[in-house]
Amino acid sequence: MPDLKDFKTRLKIANSKIKKNLQSNNSNNGSFMGFALKLGTELVAAVVVGTIIGFILDTWFDTKPWLIIIFFFIGSAAGMLNVIRTAKRIQEKD
Amino acid sequence: MATNPMHQFSVYRLGPEIKIAGIDLSFTNASLFMVISASLICLILFLGTKEKNIVPSKIQLISEIFYNFIAKMISETAGSKAKPYFPFIFSLFMFVLFCNMVGMLPYSFTVTSHIIVTLLLAIFIFIAVTVIGFVKHGFGYLKLFVPSGVPTLLLPLITVIEIISYLSRPVSLSVRLFANMMAGHTMLKVFGGFVISLGLLGGWLPLGFSVALTGLEILVAFLQAYVFAILTCIYLNDALNLHH
Repeated sequence: MPDLKDFKTRLKIANSKIKKNLQSNNSNNGSFMGFALKLGTELVAAVVVGTIIGFILDTWFDTKPWLIIIFFFIGSAAGMLNVIRTAKRIQEKD
Repeated sequence: MATNPMHQFSVYRLGPEIKIAGIDLSFTNASLFMVISASLICLILFLGTKEKNIVPSKIQLISEIFYNFIAKMISETAGSKAKPYFPFIFSLFMFVLFCNMVGMLPYSFTVTSHIIVTLLLAIFIFIAVTVIGFVKHGFGYLKLFVPSGVPTLLLPLITVIEIISYLSRPVSLSVRLFANMMAGHTMLKVFGGFVISLGLLGGWLPLGFSVALTGLEILVAFLQAYVFAILTCIYLNDALNLHH
């Protein structure tokens, strides 16, 4: 049957193509872009959360404005930590 | 009214007002579009899994692609231990994706452009991941906040930083999705307004921009759903395998 033979060769070609793609395309580009988009908000979110925590603690302990200042800086540090961690994750994928 | 670019985000009541224990539970346009997205997902997956052919039909192919995509993502980012959470991540991804995509249709409403929707999703994920972490590791899960190899003098400061970093997860997760969707849709509307106000002479340039931006927005709609799902996987990975 010529049809079946034709199908077999086509299957072989398709399989080898898939193998090639798998080897060359191990790291997919979609997740790269996802991680890159993640960086900006990651930094801002930690600063916001730190400042909010500082504000809440300030109203609790009546120490305005000291804790909000301290927690703003701690929040910034946490934001940078987040960014460094995400960047490391991108490098690991590389 | 029509020229206000923020008008598209207004939520209004459809049908009668329903109040239970002082809380407004009326059916709004936001609820309508959530129902539309959810039923679209159900319809596609129902039609896709009805006939199981070896050579798939188009709709079967679509649902199989979705399945493979999420299954691959989970096994790559969170490992085999995360397999039991597949249904949750799959429905999360599909819901966000379809809400974004339905929002791209003219005259529709984008549910994910409201922070309350995305924040609630993110807080639910945050609480679920924390509970999973404590169930799997007991109080050992708190080791996440105390990295090893840190001098004792710096330990309190590092712990506070780690806790803030952990608490910032739901904020960054929800703000990213909400801000991207809202900014994109506002921009589309603003450029649409330019086309009208510049008229037949100068309106062609913003029209071209509008077309290009629509393409970009469809990419963003998919990408944000993907990022939302993959970050859930990463957080799940932290909770299951207990390392950064």
